[in-house]
Amino acid sequence: MLKFAFSRLLSAIPTLFIVSVAVFGLVRLIPGDPASLMLGDLADADMLAEARSAMGLDRPIPVQFALWLGNVVQGDLGRSVLNGQPVLDLVLQRFATSAQMVLIAVGLAVLIAVPLGMIAAWRQNSGLDLAIVALSTLLLSVPTFWLGLMILLALGLKLGWLPVLGYVSIADNAAAGLVYLIMPVLTLVLHEAGIIVRMARASTLDVLRLDYITHARAKGLSESAVLLRHAARNAFGPTWTLIGLILGNLLGGVAVVETVFTIPGLGRLIVDAIYARDYAVVQGCLLFVAFTYLLVNLLVDLLYPLFDPRVTAE
Amino acid sequence: MKRHRQNRILGGVLLGGFLGAALVGLFWTPFDPMRIELRGKLQAPGAAHWLGTDEFGRDVLSRLMAAAGTSVSISLVTVLFAVLAGVTLGVVAGYARGWTDRVIMALNDALLAFPSMLLALALLSITGANMYGIILALGMAYTPSMVRVVRGSVLSLREREFIEVSRIMGNSAAYTMVRHILPNSLAPVIVLATSMFGSVLLTESALSFLGLGVPPPAPTWGNMLASARPHIAEAMWLGIFPGLCISLSLLGINLAGDAIRDRFDPRMRGL
Amino acid sequence: MSLSRSLLCAFLSSASFAVPGLAAANTLTVQITADIRSSQPGINRDAGTDSVLLNVVEGLVAAGEDGEIRPMLASGWTVSEDGRTYTFSLREGVKFHNGATMTADDVRWSLEKLLRDPEYSCKAFFDGSRDAKVESITAPDAKTVVITLDRPDAMLLKYMAQAQCGSTAIVHRDSFNPDGTWKAPIATGPFVFGTWKRSEGLVLTKFADYAITGDKPDGYGGRKEVLVDEVKYVVVPDTATAVAGLRSGALDVLPYLPPSEAAKLKDDKDFTVVAAPHGGLVTMLFQTADPLMSNVAMRRAVVAALDTPQIVESVTYGLGVPNNSLVASASRYHTAAQDKGYIHDPSAVPALLQEAGYKGETINILTNRRSAINYDTAVIAQAMLQAAGINAEIEVLEWASQLDRFNSGKYQIMAFNYSNRSDPALAFQTVVGSKAKNANAVWDDPAVGERVNAALQEADPAKRQAIFDDLHARFLDQVPLVMLANGLDVGVSGPRVTGYRTWQGFARFWGVSHSE
Repeated sequence: MLKFAFSRLLSAIPTLFIVSVAVFGLVRLIPGDPASLMLGDLADADMLAEARSAMGLDRPIPVQFALWLGNVVQGDLGRSVLNGQPVLDLVLQRFATSAQMVLIAVGLAVLIAVPLGMIAAWRQNSGLDLAIVALSTLLLSVPTFWLGLMILLALGLKLGWLPVLGYVSIADNAAAGLVYLIMPVLTLVLHEAGIIVRMARASTLDVLRLDYITHARAKGLSESAVLLRHAARNAFGPTWTLIGLILGNLLGGVAVVETVFTIPGLGRLIVDAIYARDYAVVQGCLLFVAFTYLLVNLLVDLLYPLFDPRVTAE
Repeated sequence: MKRHRQNRILGGVLLGGFLGAALVGLFWTPFDPMRIELRGKLQAPGAAHWLGTDEFGRDVLSRLMAAAGTSVSISLVTVLFAVLAGVTLGVVAGYARGWTDRVIMALNDALLAFPSMLLALALLSITGANMYGIILALGMAYTPSMVRVVRGSVLSLREREFIEVSRIMGNSAAYTMVRHILPNSLAPVIVLATSMFGSVLLTESALSFLGLGVPPPAPTWGNMLASARPHIAEAMWLGIFPGLCISLSLLGINLAGDAIRDRFDPRMRGL
Repeated sequence: MSLSRSLLCAFLSSASFAVPGLAAANTLTVQITADIRSSQPGINRDAGTDSVLLNVVEGLVAAGEDGEIRPMLASGWTVSEDGRTYTFSLREGVKFHNGATMTADDVRWSLEKLLRDPEYSCKAFFDGSRDAKVESITAPDAKTVVITLDRPDAMLLKYMAQAQCGSTAIVHRDSFNPDGTWKAPIATGPFVFGTWKRSEGLVLTKFADYAITGDKPDGYGGRKEVLVDEVKYVVVPDTATAVAGLRSGALDVLPYLPPSEAAKLKDDKDFTVVAAPHGGLVTMLFQTADPLMSNVAMRRAVVAALDTPQIVESVTYGLGVPNNSLVASASRYHTAAQDKGYIHDPSAVPALLQEAGYKGETINILTNRRSAINYDTAVIAQAMLQAAGINAEIEVLEWASQLDRFNSGKYQIMAFNYSNRSDPALAFQTVVGSKAKNANAVWDDPAVGERVNAALQEADPAKRQAIFDDLHARFLDQVPLVMLANGLDVGVSGPRVTGYRTWQGFARFWGVSHSE
């Protein structure tokens, strides 16, 4: 098990390298650069050339990459051109903000959606099943920039239960911090529950058709025992993979939700950095996101045998 | 089984309805969907404009009909791209394991960890903001999660008895993959593909929101939804109708997806 | 049940302390769409940063409401006969935020530090690369500062007063760390720079020892009396959220609002919508080096096909004033001659197209989604051009990409906004130039360039007026770009705010009061 984890971590290195090269190349491939953005409509050719050289953008890209990689290996991710802050500090601080929101949201979504999906599968083709499928489909098809705004207008403005904007870190004031998290978490739960319900339903349906369930039923076990003891555990496997994917994706930032609810999270940092062509920040963020992603998926794979005993982690 | 058939019919009707609207929209719409009428902007649904007009005074119904074709084809082609690429890579990685698996998954994870917006920005800057660029960008963004899910279920399948039997019987790896692994790993693929269908429509919407979607004035459900957002307070219908189109087409394809899955699932044959 | 309810109450009450607007009564809460880039005026800046910092810092001179120059930290100045030496006499009793009294040597030191900083955004205006070079800055006595140039430059004071240049702010030496790096502004403005929580917002507090001058607010000059205890800026990137915040009372002022949102709030008596045009330019640029658009008949055809007042009316929701002249509609130089504009005449288009030899080639209009005005302009113009038989299509780019195309000159038509230009000569200077030298120049005509340079160096209003009238006639004849209207900034303030006005797109918070 340990050996497996270690070899997986080792194999993450080439992935991270691919990510770095790709990110480095792609951000420079997109037209526009931080020098022209800083000068805006005041730029003339000389000023542009000077600003570019001050930012080191006039050097060949491989040279820029080698310099950057050299610093990264020493733990220095560079500084933001936007406000001069060290990238590592920015990333860690913003990640903590996004992570607390995402972990709570995914936890709640799983608690609600997995049982719903199983019930739907168990009562396949009943009215209840259709209702659950229709509801989850509806949730899947509402974009978060709409869902978030509706929740904001309803709970924040119409009913006045929650503050419309602002943000307090849980670390500073736990109670106030949680209040500010309610609406963004609710938005995320509703959105992610949709797809988890569908996956849980599908994999439960799969398991219910297998021979051993028929055996268990034939043995005269009660339906609840069949469902909970035999079906649930085995049906959770594929759902678990999906949860890992969702978690990994969301931990990379939920830019839209963060924008609607004015939360200074990682997603907004990445989007703002891409818009501002803040190369060091984009590179640092994506490297970090890729690393988190690999870590989450490693955990998912390590835990997979718990749900599906037929698979071994090695 | 009666309800079962009802679901299938409901799915078929929804899908048929949208495909029909898309087809009709190619040849005829009540108004010119591009025609701007600045004096009649943001009209509520009424006798002349059944679903109202948008912020440029264009007829919403006509735009929805014209959009159906674009939206449905972007979605279908993107999902097809992701399924073909994802299933091939996932089955190969999961069945072969070892170095093949490692290389595929290293590339896959790299792609997966990439925010789709950056990918879209970069690809669209090369191809130009058009349908093909969007399909390529979205397809590449959606493939890796398909690979992971397929590989996961293949890993679980290859430990099953019948795969063992196929191997012992001396069947080639390729034969075992196509004949036994593939059909048995289709269930999660179909679930994922059907939810992707909606997700693609929404991502296209988010891209339009950022100004990267299908260029105006051509309508898609996604860009209609995105440009309706500033008018949420006084012109609800602008968002509700394209939103409903996305929801209902998604429901239709999900119900149809269930039916297709039952057809493909070997264990369901003869039922 | 009772436990959970009291817990909820505890949650909400502890949360309310943090809710903007519910805190101390005399806090004005203001939306900013993005965090400020730095706290150092004129260095690492954008328009939003200028707008915040100019509440904190001041320069020797300031731009008045009409764009003309007013005294600020200088009580007056004289210009030598040859136009090369500017002598400023300083106001007495001006205090920095740390309590120190401002001296001529402080001013000399601060100007020297800023103008020689390689990162100063306006250094091109002062180092001889665009205009005159500042040769020396001296402080002959405690109340006098002298700036000497290498050649006459009528624009010097305008450059110094520009917001993009950080108003060439005078800051105390202690604004810098001992190693010469920037710490935080210790300046002379009516507000003190307070706590700054990056990416969340910042607070400015009232400067109690501010030396008030003048009798009424006048642009960045005049009377600056602070009527609140503090101004709290909150970063709210999404307009819909900000409007909800305004309605709920969590925000008092939204300084920058898309016109469509403002139009909706205008009829609500709780809110005060303020809209004012500034010297910015809302345009559609032609690439006059493009094979098709280089033909003046083609450009005239496009202009004849466009109903420009209708476009302005529609994209600004009736808040904007159509203006086809590069001389701003609020400028003293905007006379009847400048009112002459384009003639919307679709029936003339076919003949012009024939003259241009147009054979139905597609014409690409670039635009972006960052500016609702650019986006709507492109959509409406495309429909008008199509209706007139010109095969136009739209390409939407993300802002940085469009800016790249602007700088490289790779476009046919582009919906583009120029930021505020405080003088007509600066507006002409912005668009006129040699494309070979600067690819982002739009109007490439050496004769016109000479006239613009003459306007830049001319101080006599009557002579300047004659030059601008002549330039406008050439502008209408050559149509190097479509000038639609001057830039428009729209702001809104909530029911508890009185006295908020917008001016040239800046959010100034002196003279603004806030009640409970």
